[in-house]
Parts: sequence; structure tokens; C-alpha cells
Amino acid sequence: LSRCRCIPAMQRELGTLPLAPALRARLAAAGFQTAQELLDTGPCGLSKEIGISREEALEALQVVRQECDGNAARPAGGPGATRKFTALELLEEEQTQGFIITFCSALDNILGGGVQLTKITEICGAPGVGKTQLCMQLAVDVQIPECFGGVAGEAVFIDTEGSFMVDRVVDIAAACVQHCHLIAEAQQEEDHQKALETFSLENILSHIYYFRCRDYTELLAQVYLLPEFLAEHSKVRLVVIDGIAFPFRHDFEDLSLRTRLLNGLAQQLIIIANDHKAAVVLTNQMTTRIGQSQSTLVPALGESWGHAATVRLILHWDNRLEPSKNCEILFVAMRSSLFPGSFLPSLYHKVISLSCSVKCVLYIMSPCSTLRLKSHAVIP
Amino acid sequence: MAAKKLRRAQLSQEMCERLSRYQITTCQDFLCLSLLELMKVTGQSYYEVQKLLCKVSRACAPKMQTAYEMKLRKSVNPSSAFLTTTLHSLDRVLHGGVPCGSLTEITSPPGCGKTQFCIMLSVLATLPVSIGGLDGAVIYIDTESAFSAERLIEIAANRFPAYFDSDEKLLCMTRSIHLYRELTCCSVLKRIMSLEEEVISKKVKLIVIDSVASVVRKEFDTKLQGNLAERSNFLTRGASVLKYLAEEFSIPVILTNQITTSLSSGPGIRADLVSPADDLSLSEGSSVSGKRDSGCVTAALGNTWSHSVNTRLILQYHDLPTRQLLVAKSPVAPFSTFFYTIEKSGLVLQDRKDQTNLVWEGTNPALQPIRVRNTALKDTSHDAALPSPTGETSRNASNL
Repeated sequence: LSRCRCIPAMQRELGTLPLAPALRARLAAAGFQTAQELLDTGPCGLSKEIGISREEALEALQVVRQECDGNAARPAGGPGATRKFTALELLEEEQTQGFIITFCSALDNILGGGVQLTKITEICGAPGVGKTQLCMQLAVDVQIPECFGGVAGEAVFIDTEGSFMVDRVVDIAAACVQHCHLIAEAQQEEDHQKALETFSLENILSHIYYFRCRDYTELLAQVYLLPEFLAEHSKVRLVVIDGIAFPFRHDFEDLSLRTRLLNGLAQQLIIIANDHKAAVVLTNQMTTRIGQSQSTLVPALGESWGHAATVRLILHWDNRLEPSKNCEILFVAMRSSLFPGSFLPSLYHKVISLSCSVKCVLYIMSPCSTLRLKSHAVIP
Repeated sequence: MAAKKLRRAQLSQEMCERLSRYQITTCQDFLCLSLLELMKVTGQSYYEVQKLLCKVSRACAPKMQTAYEMKLRKSVNPSSAFLTTTLHSLDRVLHGGVPCGSLTEITSPPGCGKTQFCIMLSVLATLPVSIGGLDGAVIYIDTESAFSAERLIEIAANRFPAYFDSDEKLLCMTRSIHLYRELTCCSVLKRIMSLEEEVISKKVKLIVIDSVASVVRKEFDTKLQGNLAERSNFLTRGASVLKYLAEEFSIPVILTNQITTSLSSGPGIRADLVSPADDLSLSEGSSVSGKRDSGCVTAALGNTWSHSVNTRLILQYHDLPTRQLLVAKSPVAPFSTFFYTIEKSGLVLQDRKDQTNLVWEGTNPALQPIRVRNTALKDTSHDAALPSPTGETSRNASNL
């Protein structure tokens, strides 16, 4: 269905209009070619000529009229229409684009400011490395008020693996609130205090919308319904799909169907990300690829899926540093209350404890004192 | 949900008839088609098809809940969120015990105590809530014929002498443990799929599968082409059914796994360890080569399986008779290690007073090296997997 704007609306061929196929076949058989002809004939004439009822003819004419008028009158930025920008306008738009900050300067720097809105970010990694943790953290960080550098949005969390832990989100949210309080104390500005009134644990949790999809059909259905949901909840700025790989890794004898469904999903997510100015974050598993001489770990779902995301983050375990110790990799998520606003590149330690609710997830980095980033943000 | 028939999705009767002519009867069939195909098949315009899609999607999409509602629901019923293992340090680290509603895996070399642990947890699940149990039945799927009813009674009588003070109580407990012997992958999968009704009718509160690895490795030889993909298929299908059961009924599911050697520098071959006698040749091989990453013992069943389980506990040898329990993957616990021995009453933790929080640097749970019997005997001080815990805690304390 091409919507070519250089042809005057009335001269559009019937094949480009969204009519029912049977109707289109009849119109073609009767010799109609452009939209103008249809409108000139009128509903009664149309119904007599091709043998449909008057109501159906009227409906068809309304569709045609809406299409033609709509294209002419639709503003450039409307959803669904083709948009035209100069590169300068795009640059200005990108620079004012919000980022979802994570309060971890190392990670934010690597990503160029944070997780970018209107783009798809994919997080791949070995089991247990922290993908779901990072997603849960982002669902909290998207709600950080604007005066602290956040986007003050809400989050949709689509879970296909069942690894969402509410208690952990409570920990992360509590620590985030604490962190903001410390910043507010240090900087003593009035809008900080006001923002903190609404940035409470209860509010944070109420604005994470959780969906549990048990197979790929439910996932497809949910993504079809997302635009409607996002239109009702216009403050949503983050859509997380935790485990895009899991429902597609079994029950698919026909791999080409799987590729097609995944491509369709990717397209819909791109449209959602753009139309609603939201960031889409997906997590992917790693799978073993058996090569000729060795087996390597690669992101799952195949080569073609690699094109779906704009930013691909690969988290992996670092085994190279010292042979006797296996160090974790690193994304320092949030640190304790000792250093508000800045993070010392020293040793962190993975501690998750209920007793001290300030700490979130801290990862061990390299045992030497310099901050060595082993993660790769691959921007294709 | 996927198999829901379209007529229950509130599509009109004639639309359903028309679609069934093209063999589209379930929501899954409908949603798998592209927009153009749908237009052709339904004979409707673009906008109409969009509306139909929304209708069908609404019929199978999940319900929305906010994180806040989930938290409220949990706080209303806190005690049923975990199955305490009565190993107090472990329970503390896991924030309560084996979590309900997710899959927990126990991996170990042969003879370390997997089946003992499973039997112990089965006893615990049958105890009343006041003592820390779940007051329910247990479904035990045994693929290795390792379950021993006598050991079950011995553990029960020795661990909870105050509760099991009469034979009648012991017999009552044994009546609530339902044992199934399955010997092939196919039968295990069929059994798992039929569990939903059993769980409801028998009021089951714990599902144990001992072990997943033995059936899978008997039937799928990953050296043959195509078998790796089929094995992944089987495992993920089983995992998703089990996850559904765990979440729907809020019960813990425990699976056991075996070990394998992964030769990372060699050509992706996985040598299988089946008997303790193989330990000897394995450890000799690796010490001769001297390099750490050529050949180490890790959990079996590969990467995909490591993704599917939510918690992974590794049991390994330390020095006889002490063994070690590692928390290798958990969404709520840091990497921790505990020492234990196996006694009449099951597993008993050796609580060493100087180690309050045994944290160590773990790694990828799929590649975590596991100590087998002979390496334990040979090198107790210099080990590939773990630094000594006391050294670790003092070092960490200075950095926090």
C-alpha cells in the first residue's frame, strides 16, 4: 500500500487504496482506475454499476475520500504518514531527545547519555549476568523526575520468562529514591523538593505496568494491543520485553515463519518507539554456535534479528584477568550513599541485601584500581 | 491461550466459517498471518482487518497488573513465597528459602547429595505451615530410580523427631509423596503436561524432577548433527510448561542436573561423565595440560537450559566428608558458599562462626567449574574454582 505524496490525491490508482480485495476486483473488472472516477460516479451510480448495495458503495466512497483528503491535510508529523525532515531538524530533535539515565556514569557514557528514546536497545548476555536486573532498574530509572535528569515517564514490562521479582524492584526503587534525596540535600533547590513529593516507592511501583506472556501468541497479541495501551497511558516512555528469545526457541518447525514473525515484531516496535517517543529495550539469550574448530557464544535468534535493534549491548563474564579468579562483568548499576552524584572507579562488590536497603546491585570489576570497561556497545 | 478458538474471540459466526475454510481456526493461526494475507482471507478492508486483529488480540493478551498490585498481593501472603530448607544460613541468603513460582536447579557430580537434598525437601514440603512446611503433597518424577523410601523415613524421623513421633505420622507423610518413574524424554514431557490436573486434585505443593539430565543425555547425542537443536527444543518446551505450573499454582519446582566436561579450546565436544570412575581420568587430564581453560567440569545441558532455570545451586566436593554448596545463580542472592555434610537427618550445614557472609567471585552459571571427587582429594589449597572464604570476606569487608 504505497502512499506516494507526489501524485495528486485524486489521481491515485485504486490499487493503492485500502479497499477490500473483493471490492477492488469488481471495480477493476468494471473499468474504474482512479479515485476521482469513483467520487464522480456517486454512491447510487456505483452500486448499480458494480452490483453492490448502496450502503456498501457509500462506505467505499467514504474510505476513498478519507484517504485522499487525509493525505493532503495530514500534518507532517502525524502518525502513519511519511515525514520529511532536513538533517538539521533531525539533529536538533536528536539532541533534545531524552535519555533514560541509569545513575551509572560508565554505562550512560557508553550509551551516549543513557538508553535513548525512540530507539530499540537490545541487551544480550549469558545466563545470570544481569539482563533482567538491568531491565528492572531501567523501569525504575525511567520515572526519575526531570529536575534530576530523568524523563519522568512510566514503564511497560512484558515478561516472557517469569524472572521479574517484585521484591528486587522494591529494593532498587527504594535505593533510587534515597539517591535522589541525597542529591536534593546536596543541591538544595526548590523544584527538587517538590519532585520528591511524588517520587515515592508507591508511585514508582504503580507506574510499572506488567504483562506476563506465556507463549509467542500472547506476545504477538500484546504487541498488537500496545499502541492502544500507550495512547491511553501517554506518559509511558519505556517498553521492556524481557526475553524476546524464549518464546521463539521452541515449537517452530518452520524457521521462516519465525523469521517473519520476528521481523513483523521488530517493525511494530520501531513504529511504537517513534510514535510514542518511547525507548524499547529487549533482552536476548546467548546460544552456542558450533564452528569448525571451536564453539562460540552468539546472540540467539539468528543473523537477521541482529538488524532489528539500533543499539546492542552484550554483557559477558570476564574470564581473562586472573586464571585463579573469575571476575564478573561489570555494569555498575547503583552505588551506595557514600558518593552522591559521582562514582569512584574503585572496586565494587555484588551485594544484594535486604537489611541495608540503600545498596542496589553493584558489580565486581577488575581487581586492579583502574576502571576497565569490558562491555561493548555495538552500534551497527 | 494460543489454542483458543476464534469463535470464543467474539468474531462473528460467518467470519469464523469463512476463516475455517482456510484452516484458520485458532487465535494463533490468525495472529501468525501478515496484514495482506488477512485482508485476502477475510475479504475486509485494511481498517476492518486492524479492528479484527485488535479483537483477536484482546482475546489472548495477558491481563495487566502494576508492580504495586503484585507487591500488595505478596505482602498479604508472605509465608507462602518460599519453601524453607531448614539450612538457616542458606535460607537467609536466599531471602527465605527455595522460591515458589520459579525453577530451581541442583547440579552436582555423582554422589554429592542431589537426591538426598531432594528427599529432604520432599519431607519439608509435607510438614504443616507452622513448622515451616507447605502442608501439601509432593510429585516426585524419578528418572534414575534413585529414590529410596527407607531413606525418606530415616531423614524424616531424624530431622523432626518431635513431629514424627509416631509411625502413623510417618506413614501419612509417605502417602502424600507421589512417585513417578519415567525413563524416556517423551514420557517425561507427557507426564509434565499432565501435571496440571494432578496438582489441583492432590493439592500438590512441590514438584521434583530427578534428574532431567539423565533422560536427555541418553537420547540426544550432541555430537550428531541436528541433535543440539532438538535437545534445546525439548528443554525449552519442558521449561515453559514447568514455569507455567510453578507460577500458576505458586509452588516451587526443583530439577536436578548432572555435570559434563566442557573443553573450551577444543572442538565443541562435550564429554559426558556418567560414573565416578571417570573422575580419575578427567582430573589427570586437566592437571597434565596445566591450563585452566582447557577442560573443566561444569553443569550439563548447555547454555539454553542455564537461561531457563531461575536459581542454580551447585553441590561439589570439598574434602571428604565435607562438601560445599554454592549459590551460582539467583535473582535475589549474591554468590555464596556453604559447607555441609550428609548425615542421618539429611544435609547439615557446617556453620563456621567466623564467616558471616560467605561471598565469592562467581562467574557465568553455565560455565562455573565444579569440583569432582578426585580434584578435591588432590588439591585442597590451590583450587581453580574458589578462593578460601575467610580470605574473601576480609578482603571484601575492607572495600565496602
